[in-house]
Amino acid sequence: MTQAEIKLCSLLLQEHFGEIVEKIGVHLIRTGSQPLRVIAHDTGTSLDQVKKALCVLIQHNLVIYQVHKRGVVEYEAQCSRVLRMLRYPRYIYTTKTLYSDTGELIVEELLLNGKMTMSAVVKKVADRLTETMEDGKTMDYAEVSNTFVRLADTHFVQRCPLVPATENSDPGPPPPAPTLVINEKDMYLVPKLNLIGKGKRRRSSDEDAAGEPKAKRPKHTTDNKEPIPDDGIYWQVNLDRFHQHFRDQAIVSAVANRMDQTSSEIVRTMLRMSEITTPSSAPFTQPLSSNEIFRSLPVGYNISKQVLDQYLTLLADDPLEFVGKSGDSGGGMYVINLHKALTSLATATLESVVQERFGSRCARIFRLVLQKKHLEQKQEIPKTPDHAPSRTFYLYTVNVLSAARMLLHRCYKSIANLIERRQFETKENKRLLEKSQRVEAIIASMQATGAEEAQLQEIEEMITAPERQQLETLKRNVNKLDASEIQVDETIFLLESYIESTMKKQ
Amino acid sequence: MARNNGRGRAAYTFNIETIGFSRGEKLPDVVLKPPPLFPVTDYKPVPLKTREREDYMLALKQELRETMKRMPSFIETPEGKLDIERYSKRYMKVYKEEWIPDWRRLPREMKPRKKCKKDPKSKKAKDTVKGTSLANTADMLKKTEELEKRGDGEKSGEENEEKEGSKEKSEEGDDDGDDDAAEQEEYDDGKQEEENDCINSYFEDGDDFGAGSDDNMDKATY
Repeated sequence: MTQAEIKLCSLLLQEHFGEIVEKIGVHLIRTGSQPLRVIAHDTGTSLDQVKKALCVLIQHNLVIYQVHKRGVVEYEAQCSRVLRMLRYPRYIYTTKTLYSDTGELIVEELLLNGKMTMSAVVKKVADRLTETMEDGKTMDYAEVSNTFVRLADTHFVQRCPLVPATENSDPGPPPPAPTLVINEKDMYLVPKLNLIGKGKRRRSSDEDAAGEPKAKRPKHTTDNKEPIPDDGIYWQVNLDRFHQHFRDQAIVSAVANRMDQTSSEIVRTMLRMSEITTPSSAPFTQPLSSNEIFRSLPVGYNISKQVLDQYLTLLADDPLEFVGKSGDSGGGMYVINLHKALTSLATATLESVVQERFGSRCARIFRLVLQKKHLEQKQEIPKTPDHAPSRTFYLYTVNVLSAARMLLHRCYKSIANLIERRQFETKENKRLLEKSQRVEAIIASMQATGAEEAQLQEIEEMITAPERQQLETLKRNVNKLDASEIQVDETIFLLESYIESTMKKQ
Repeated sequence: MARNNGRGRAAYTFNIETIGFSRGEKLPDVVLKPPPLFPVTDYKPVPLKTREREDYMLALKQELRETMKRMPSFIETPEGKLDIERYSKRYMKVYKEEWIPDWRRLPREMKPRKKCKKDPKSKKAKDTVKGTSLANTADMLKKTEELEKRGDGEKSGEENEEKEGSKEKSEEGDDDGDDDAAEQEEYDDGKQEEENDCINSYFEDGDDFGAGSDDNMDKATY
């Protein structure tokens, strides 16, 4: 793991889980796999806190454990999974576009909690949706369940590995740690639950922005005592499936930009047909016949078979080679060259970076070198065959893989810088932010108890005009920094996909 | 190659005039300090995308950040005693849902163990408490409350935690804090320091008080 990645992981862990978890997490990322006591000793943290931190990290799929010989359990951090936390907004937004608000909340809850049982998710989401509905309306559990099932069917959520059922005849002490197993075919199997109910609206007295001490809040004793029907069956978000979706999106929009809408729809159809049949890391999809594609086109699309064939031929002949022809049966067998597509996208990213950073002339040189593979500056053909430096050619070339790696490394650094700057800005204005929060809370409570306009005006004036200006500037800056983080992550995704695809190919 | 390296004469493989230095001119000095912190860039960066998609994700991101701070997975660092204890701090404390992990999925060493720190009085309380059946909880509550009041608040909180951790298996294997209302299981060290919470837990905790597990006998030596 490079320093840049470790630094970024540290910032992400700290923002999402606090300093203690950050300390333990970063330590594990740096040192690799370690047992509990060594972690506590090396980080100088109490055993208790290490345990809590590890529980949180394991719950969120950031750390895994393994039993080694002599019963020692070792914990290992997954650095790349930590970096995925940057992409959470994108996962949630994508689900919203596919499965609307219900799906969005399901994925959000799963991401925030790491793993959950289906019944817990359904209940939580139903409650949240009920909050946003008009008075008197509630969200039915059945509707949420249906969306959950659809998410499982399309593999966007998957089951976590299970604790194996222990037999009672097992002699000797129980193992120091359970070995979790999951069957391929069970991964998307939704348990038969009979979830009946509706979302509950929280009482307005409970919703308190300031968060009064709730230690004396009466507990909901009614819900606890019911046995949980799917106890032990936890679900998590399947990040790989989302990545596959993002990749498909990128390819389709690239085709749309380069050619036209119809071609991109054809490519989208082909990708959709290959979703389940082709593993996401394959260099190209399974061959699809032109007839099959014709039958699978979306219902609204009224192009004739000949037109489809023409489009396919055009796509296959295009120098970008996104689509390839692999045979002639069935009206022509076509594949999508996933690896080539990813390479093109990564290369386009590199070109764009060169252009924006160094200018158009540099970009032109860069593109030329890429195209011709090896170029020389300006030389005549040598007359002598020896390797004397004055007569040797030095050719320029672009090593796309290592350029992509370098750019990726820079992206990690950029995001780390963005986060640090955002935290700095927030800290600088901490006093002002707190003051404005307090004023808002006061205004809110006064409005609730029915105050006059004049009084509200007076309270609002507690924040002076220059302070308001300062807050505006702060908000604008923080928004910019946040938006930058999200957009750099899009570049990271393309580069990482390309690098991964290339490594798998070799 | 190796032959020519030792000859000493600098020979460029390309025409040096093309990059702007005329022949024989002194080349610029070697740079001895790090590059400036904020170098001047020739080209300004492209503006950010501001379509609906990006705006929505931005709002989501900021919301998520706030929500994460309120989740039980966010473990607060116990702050040192501040010089001035602000009155408003008491009312700005965010209420956190409790969260208990599913112990079945974790290595056994993850379960917090009670450590007797202080006096044997509490040890006695624990002993008496352990043998109690669920039915006698009411009396036990009062008795142990007295004893525990003098003992370490944190310890008794942890004891509770331990018992509930093992008792948990039959009831709630869930991580969902909402279901664990009956247990005052604070997975939050800070709260256990306060005696108040300890007393609360004894009052509200009804059924999970007996039948403790036996692996809590890690008695610390004094």
